[in-house]
Amino acid sequence: MAFDLNSLLAFIIFGVTIGVVYGIVALGISLIYSGLDIVHFAHGEMYMFGAFFGLVLAENVGLPYPVALVGAMIITAVVGMLVERVFYRRLTRAGGGYTVAGMGMIICGFGMSVAMVNVAYFIWGAEAEPFRANLDYIPRLQFPGDIEVPESYVLTAIISVILMFTLHYFLRYTKPGLAVRAVAHNKDIAYLMGINVPLMISLIFGVACALAAAAGVLIGPMQSVQVEMGYLMLMKAFAAAVVGGFGSLPGAIIGGIMVGVFENLGAAYISASHKDIYAFLLLILVLMIKPSGLFGVEAKVKA
Amino acid sequence: MLQVNDVHAGYGNLKILRGVDMSISDGGIVTLLGGNGTGKSTLLKAISGLIPLMKGQITFDGLDISKLKPHERVRLGIVQVTQAKEAYPAMSVEENLVLGAYTRKDREAIKVDLERVYDFFPVLRERRKQMSGTLSGGEVQMLVIGRGMMAKPKMLMLDEPSAALAPKVVLEIFANINRIAKSGVTILIVEQNVRMALILAQYGYIIRDGIILIEGNADMLIKDPAVKESFLGGSVADVSRGLNKK
Ligand SMILES: Nc1ncnc2c1ncn2[C@@H]1O[C@H](COP(=O)(O)OP(=O)(O)OP(=O)(O)O)[C@@H](O)[C@H]1O
Ligand SMILES: [Mg+2]
Repeated sequence: MAFDLNSLLAFIIFGVTIGVVYGIVALGISLIYSGLDIVHFAHGEMYMFGAFFGLVLAENVGLPYPVALVGAMIITAVVGMLVERVFYRRLTRAGGGYTVAGMGMIICGFGMSVAMVNVAYFIWGAEAEPFRANLDYIPRLQFPGDIEVPESYVLTAIISVILMFTLHYFLRYTKPGLAVRAVAHNKDIAYLMGINVPLMISLIFGVACALAAAAGVLIGPMQSVQVEMGYLMLMKAFAAAVVGGFGSLPGAIIGGIMVGVFENLGAAYISASHKDIYAFLLLILVLMIKPSGLFGVEAKVKA
Repeated sequence: MLQVNDVHAGYGNLKILRGVDMSISDGGIVTLLGGNGTGKSTLLKAISGLIPLMKGQITFDGLDISKLKPHERVRLGIVQVTQAKEAYPAMSVEENLVLGAYTRKDREAIKVDLERVYDFFPVLRERRKQMSGTLSGGEVQMLVIGRGMMAKPKMLMLDEPSAALAPKVVLEIFANINRIAKSGVTILIVEQNVRMALILAQYGYIIRDGIILIEGNADMLIKDPAVKESFLGGSVADVSRGLNKK
């Protein structure tokens, strides 16, 4: 492929947009990690469920796309909170708790991932479903040099920015946000401050799953909605979270953008048939240079 | 105010407290003394609700609180300051203090109490905008006590507030604990610094191997030969003078 500046710019723009979506899923993974000290391996399935909920709400129920997006976020948040309450929290009582020592949680997360994929098969079947969102009211963006950014990408960029700022505002300036930060730092102290820790844990889970759902609904119109879509997203978001520094929220977004851009450039200039490898190539490169990730805080060690 | 009846508690299957009885009445300072690993912090955690009871009962103001979660006990006025001296390092001093008032809705009164904490611990006022991760050990201790005050407790439990601090700082902190008690808050204080604790407190419990060994008025305990032998060295008078100066 001949090199020209315009197509380079185009690849970067598409890469950033996709990358922000990886970042949003990574944000949820990081939020759960910093809040609960577990890596949630079923988060890709929350993303997949979110995409299906969005699809059902938009195509079957006929809701406008933005409403379907919000609806999917709410439903997935509820599903996430239920899963946490019914399955994960039992395990934490067995000891290890929501700590790095809780190896059982990791296995449970994997099991949940398999279970959710099978539930999704049962409900929606194995076919990839196209997500035909009506986005006519969103303008296409024209960049110099004949680069046209489709509506779904424009919308993704807008919604992603809204979600990031909302989350930032929530954590920084609201009382539940303050409580979430307190719980993330130390659950016992938070308890002693009068914070309803179990409720905040639910809230963290709900918010993280809502973010994954938003990513699913945003990706839907670009690709298609399919039962197996969660696995790859989990891997990319995981790469994004690690590249940015696990547990760091801004790092998750930056990491996501880096993964997205790197992957698009790799696909364009090296080989498109290995598109999904580049995320991990980047992951390994970053870890070799800075093992804690770009914005990594030092590893959390808990007594 | 607080009744602890035959409380058994511990961690997992490990039983630490093996039938503790305690009765704390309204007002004043009560101290809980004992060697390392005898279950002092464990008892505070059982009272604040951080660990569940295996057996026994705890009542507060006549209400059975044995099954309540820690945050519910905070709402009733039971506040524990842990031994870990843990503030939220990435939050400012003032944010930490405001977080202490998390359960309260009375905004004006919270402001008044914030000023009161700053009056008690002027160094916190100087450092109000500073991240608490940058504070010294003594300042963090003041901050976590101040944060406890912000919850407007009826009973404030302090776990070794003097640990690892310079004598001058310890005196300042003890003088302020006394002021908090004078303002009507009941204090339960765990201490390694036995002499000072018995001078500060009116009543004391001595715990060993998870049961209360001796209890009694502080002026009696301080003269008790058994207590003297196991804990006390040096002269009581020095500390007494130090405290009175404040
Ligand atoms: N989280 C825990 N899990 C298991 N065992 C614990 C835990 N915390 C404390 N213990 C054990 O319980 C016993 C009593 O501990 P506790 O913290 O109550 O002692 P303490 O009287 O406060 O001692 P110190 O003066 O050293 O603070 C100790 O043997 C300790 O090892
Ligand atoms: Mg202790």
